[in-house]
Amino acid sequence: MSVLSTPRSAVRLASKGTPLREHVFRIALLSSLVIALGFLLMLLIYVLEEGWPRIDATLWENMPSIRRPETAGIQSGIIGTLWIIGLTALMALPTGVLAAIYLEEYADRTKWYNRVIELNISNLAAVPSIVYGILGLGIIARWLDFGFTVMTGAITISLLVLPIVIISAREAIRAVPPSIREGSLALGATQWQTIYRQVLPSAVPGIATGSILALSRAIGEAAPFLMLGAATLVRFNPEGVWSSFTVLPLQIYSFISQSREEFHILASAAIVVLLAILLLMNSVAIWLRNRYQKRW
Amino acid sequence: MQNVSVRGPEVPRNIEALDPVFTVSDLSVFYGAYEAVRGVDLTIGNREITAMIGPSGCGKSTVLRCFNRMNDLIPGARPAGKIFFHDEDLYGDHVDPIEVRRRIGMVFQKPNPFPKSIYDNIAYGPKVNGMKGKMDSIVEEALIKAALWDEVKDKLKQNALSLSGGQQQRLCIARAIAVKPEVILMDEPCSALDPIATTKIEDLMQELARDYTIVIVTHNMQQAARVSDRTAFFTAEVDDAGERHGRLVEFDETSRIFTNPSDKRTEDYITGRFG
Repeated sequence: MSVLSTPRSAVRLASKGTPLREHVFRIALLSSLVIALGFLLMLLIYVLEEGWPRIDATLWENMPSIRRPETAGIQSGIIGTLWIIGLTALMALPTGVLAAIYLEEYADRTKWYNRVIELNISNLAAVPSIVYGILGLGIIARWLDFGFTVMTGAITISLLVLPIVIISAREAIRAVPPSIREGSLALGATQWQTIYRQVLPSAVPGIATGSILALSRAIGEAAPFLMLGAATLVRFNPEGVWSSFTVLPLQIYSFISQSREEFHILASAAIVVLLAILLLMNSVAIWLRNRYQKRW
Repeated sequence: MQNVSVRGPEVPRNIEALDPVFTVSDLSVFYGAYEAVRGVDLTIGNREITAMIGPSGCGKSTVLRCFNRMNDLIPGARPAGKIFFHDEDLYGDHVDPIEVRRRIGMVFQKPNPFPKSIYDNIAYGPKVNGMKGKMDSIVEEALIKAALWDEVKDKLKQNALSLSGGQQQRLCIARAIAVKPEVILMDEPCSALDPIATTKIEDLMQELARDYTIVIVTHNMQQAARVSDRTAFFTAEVDDAGERHGRLVEFDETSRIFTNPSDKRTEDYITGRFG
């Protein structure tokens, strides 16, 4: 009997309570999150509340107007933004993906010029967007004489998002395990067959996600367009790539700089529309990522 | 043609295969300036299973990857010496590495099916090689040969990643067979598998050796003893400059390597005294 009666205290696993430090740390982490989300929430509530009276059909149906802000709309801004983003996607996505394929699959990293290119792509991603605006103004609008057109804006924005597209496409391509490439090459596939039939299909969800996020950043840009002279109230939709245009952020900017209260309400309503487009694009990106996530 | 008698017992034996598919002479492999493998002479017999064994870092996988020029893909990797595939210099100027890899298939350590359907995994090789014939029958034949058909015939459209590890590895073997190679190289094909799956692959290898030449790198000495006809024992040696180089110590019939090796180092390794 005595052998079995080991003192209970020797094997006790009872909690001594969580140390205070653990609590403090957890609260610090949580409050950081609350601060970040709290401000976003405040902003959302503020613009929704202010812009609510103007979120209606006229906002979409009507053109901006200086004289009648109470019935003015933002159609030219929405259509202009769609034109710019569509054209940017057409130009920047193929270029960016092809550049990423070169860097990941072909470039010899022991060569100095490839390392210089790599380093500078990261640098380009950090260049302020206003600088791209100056570039667009000086080279595309003036020197190439494309003027203040949709084409000029789209090329400028393409250059702006290209480094981001390249970087995110590279990450997606790099995430495809080397064993997939080896498996394909060992069967007698060429390098291009391996890339086109194995690597790219596996990387497409990642590339798509990164591209959407890059484009949604472009949607919110105002600075380069200011440089490109799209700042005025535009009362017509672009008719083609050589038409002049405005975009939503600039529209909002020009409304806010007016003194009458109705313009501020209109601006808030336009912000709600812009945020809605952004949230929609980001949701699609997240959905794509979850839907096609590869598990190796 | 086994040049046995001329050598004394203290000289490691290096027998020659009667009908060689590969003839390796004085092969060294460099990674940049580093000589990973030095001075290998080896013959791989037609429709035989040749095992390459030895401790980690002895260069056996490096040598294996020279046989289908997979080392070409590693920047800075460079072989010196000669490898003949039948009568052709494998690293000759006119040789297309793509064609080499089509004729000499490879199975890797970790099963690496493509994230596609079982059917598409098998059909991929024939497709990229522009092979003629009915794809359905090519796929079926490859799966039957790899002893996988009965397990997957009802789910050919299912994702290959849903198969078990052992099934995935047999799928990779089927995938290699589908392009109708002459040789199948296997780089530790069972090291990620459980014993039952390993047995299945070993049985399959015996079966395949009727039609194919097989070279297998393995850490598992019992496996080499069970499946192979000939065994090459590699080890790593440190030279005067303090650099490690993989060396071929002894190459002989498997039964002889495991019962009566001619080199002390082989004996020490197979009896578990080092490695």
